[in-house]
Amino acid sequence: MELYQSLVAVEPATLIVTICNLFLQMYIVKKFFLSKVLAILDKRREETDQEIVQAKNAKAEAMAIKATYEENMKQAKAQANEILTHAQKTATARSEEIIGQAQAQAAQLKEKASAEIAQEKKKALNEAKDEISGIAVAIAEKVVERQLNEADQEKLVSQFIENLGGAL
Amino acid sequence: MEISINGARILAVFENVPLLGTVRLTQTVAMSWFVMIIISALCIWLGSNLKVTGISRKQAVAEMAVTSLVKFVHNNMGTGFDHYIPLVGTIFITSVISNTISVMGFWSPTADLMTELGWALVVFVLITYHKIKAAGFGAYLKGFLDPLFVLAPINVMAECFTPISMACRHFGNILSGTVISALIYGALTTATHALLGALGSSLVAALIVSAAGVVLAVVMKKKGKTVFFILGIILALLGVFALLHNAGGFLGEIPFLAIGIPAVTGAYFDWFGGCIQAFIFCTLTTLFIKQAAGD
Repeated sequence: MELYQSLVAVEPATLIVTICNLFLQMYIVKKFFLSKVLAILDKRREETDQEIVQAKNAKAEAMAIKATYEENMKQAKAQANEILTHAQKTATARSEEIIGQAQAQAAQLKEKASAEIAQEKKKALNEAKDEISGIAVAIAEKVVERQLNEADQEKLVSQFIENLGGAL
Repeated sequence: MEISINGARILAVFENVPLLGTVRLTQTVAMSWFVMIIISALCIWLGSNLKVTGISRKQAVAEMAVTSLVKFVHNNMGTGFDHYIPLVGTIFITSVISNTISVMGFWSPTADLMTELGWALVVFVLITYHKIKAAGFGAYLKGFLDPLFVLAPINVMAECFTPISMACRHFGNILSGTVISALIYGALTTATHALLGALGSSLVAALIVSAAGVVLAVVMKKKGKTVFFILGIILALLGVFALLHNAGGFLGEIPFLAIGIPAVTGAYFDWFGGCIQAFIFCTLTTLFIKQAAGD
């Protein structure tokens, strides 16, 4: 025959067993399920946090590098400008100097040439003087056919050249 | 027909156990062990092979369960009571599994008041512990004299009724499901016997009904009228069942009408009611402990 409890029965043994079961079950749930899953969740969160921190660090680093690069670029540009300006200035100065030198040289050359011309002219004049005097003497000799003394000769020639000079 | 609604079946009786006297090993105890085995197996299965990345579907479910449990406790108690997460989770899963194994025809451990009372007593101890911890032992005792010392008995009763009401709320809901299921089953069995008995009392009538049903089903199938086709099949089956019933013996005892319909009420009382009661019990557990600990 099957025995049944009444619908609502107070049974201390069942009560105690239930409470013991609850604690045992709680231990099993905690040890084999909750702790393990929570550990995994924590680990994942840690790893994610770590990755975020790493990403932030990498970003900061990249920003620093970028800033340095930009600074360098700026400096390089400034330097290039400076070099360019300097070069332009140098070039202008140099060209002016060269032009000045050329002009000075040209003036010098011109002066020299003028001096040479003047000298040549003088030299030619003297030569012509000598030659003409020679010719005049020869002509006079032939004309006079006589030998003049030195003093007369000189006087005569000078007189001739003076007349010639007035004609020239 | 007689319907009897009983408590747990007594499997064994041990006389003269020290301290306890007569101990009756009931279905409740046996089934609670069965439930424990199910939950433990589930826990070990879900808790194995956990990985940080590239998780399996099983692990996703496990993580979701743990996350929602933690969220539930945090929502109700704040973040200072994380050590009660295992207790709340254990009560919840035990309650849900206990309530729903009745779907498979097993005895629910929660259909015995002692199960819920055991849980509620544990909760009661925690509530009292937190009250004493928050206010001090003297202030706790003094609290019973508020607002007038004559009200002390009522205050003590109110304190004791916390676990009793918790236990009875859960138990009552499960019990009502059991009672209503039994009543419906009994009613349907009686109806089956009445209907088939009347129809089957005359062999000719049963044959005519089943023949008419078959003809109706065949004709309506050809015409494509589903409702009448189903009606025809039901009529045919009714005739056949009436014949079987009339034939007597084992086949005559099968309550044919009770097939299918109790599943609908079972869906409500076992699944919906079972889960809701587990949820309510856990909510009350967390709220009472939180309340006792003060804000």
